Amino acid sequence: MAKKVLNVEDDPDTRTFVSTVLEENGYIPIMAVDGEEGMEKVKAERPDLIVLDILMPRESGIKMYHELKTDPSFKDIPVVMLSAVSKRTFLRSTAALTEFGNETVPEPQAYLEKPVEPEDLAETLKKILG
Amino acid sequence: MKVNKILFVSEFEELWLDALQSLMSLRKAGMNDVVFLHVISRDKVAMRRGAGYLKQEERKLKEIADIRFIDWAETLYEEGMEVVAHIVIGNIVPKILSVTEIEGVDLIVTARRKRAKLEELYAGSETSDLLRRTDKPVLLYNYLSQSGKVGDNPFERLLLGLDWTESSEKVLDYVLALKGAVKRVDIVHVISEKDVAKLSSKMEAQKLERKNKKRLDEVCDVLIKEKFDARPHLYIGNIEEQIEKGASEHRATMIVLGSRRKSIWKEKWSGSVSYGLADKSELPILIIPAEIK
Repeated sequence: MAKKVLNVEDDPDTRTFVSTVLEENGYIPIMAVDGEEGMEKVKAERPDLIVLDILMPRESGIKMYHELKTDPSFKDIPVVMLSAVSKRTFLRSTAALTEFGNETVPEPQAYLEKPVEPEDLAETLKKILG
Repeated sequence: MKVNKILFVSEFEELWLDALQSLMSLRKAGMNDVVFLHVISRDKVAMRRGAGYLKQEERKLKEIADIRFIDWAETLYEEGMEVVAHIVIGNIVPKILSVTEIEGVDLIVTARRKRAKLEELYAGSETSDLLRRTDKPVLLYNYLSQSGKVGDNPFERLLLGLDWTESSEKVLDYVLALKGAVKRVDIVHVISEKDVAKLSSKMEAQKLERKNKKRLDEVCDVLIKEKFDARPHLYIGNIEEQIEKGASEHRATMIVLGSRRKSIWKEKWSGSVSYGLADKSELPILIIPAEIK
């Protein structure tokens, strides 16, 4: 059975790009435009993997990532970060959140900085989902 | 009242990273969320004769804004803050109002906005338009007219202009919520020239002075009780001029005023100290609407 991949991304062009890569590689794409909608889709669809942007309206990918990784029901869903925000910033933000008393969270399965080549994205997904 | 989430509206020409960084003192007052908003004016991408809708231009402008916001957001993310962004096309004031609603922000931060002269004559400045239509506090910067630099902490020394209306109570409540970010508060009440002209004897003038001093002391006591360094000051004269004078005398880093929503025509006839100073003052101005929830 085809696996479901949720892409949380506010930019329509990037959504189209990711959706095309997902379909071409046999996955079922699910789309959300920000972290809030992303969490709703996670609860409703329970995806097999999440491709997550960071800077979006309403709720950032960093906040959504923390929500996912601190929720026992969803913390095992693999996450691939896909953002123009650097990996170094993401890791520092995670460390800063821990300092502010938030629960420590593991690093994401993969971190891809935009722009990403379709082959690189496909290969990353294949490595994680098999 | 709380200041957890701020909306930072930037057109990039007039509001830069230093203005944003100067707001970090609000973290001591509980601020943890920043919402960026950049509005691309319709004129820049609208239908043009022979060119149609400038889709390519829209994409370019959005990309530029995105790159700037990512740079700013990285600084804030690394401090453990939550940052979100909206890059939209449309008219600035309606977009500020809609994002304020969507995000549930506690404070709108923006630069003073002017319209074309003729439009301003009929509709007022975009700043007064925003103040008329929002029930959220608005912090206005005007630093390009000065040295081009923003002070490290605009909340350090506040000058409160109080007129004893309902909005003055809201100003006081809001300043109390800023505890931690504020070092000193100078409280000013101005007896207007109009009020002085109505007085018929020296005794009446003294009574008026005593009454206002008492009210100033009461406000001062509330702030001192909450561990603010607060001082009362009573002035007489033109209200706008005296507030600016007070701000300069006490080296204020920000002026805080209350306001009441007025229609454009009422504002033109009766005038408004808050709107007037908002359009003119060199210092950042924080306007607290009486309608704030």
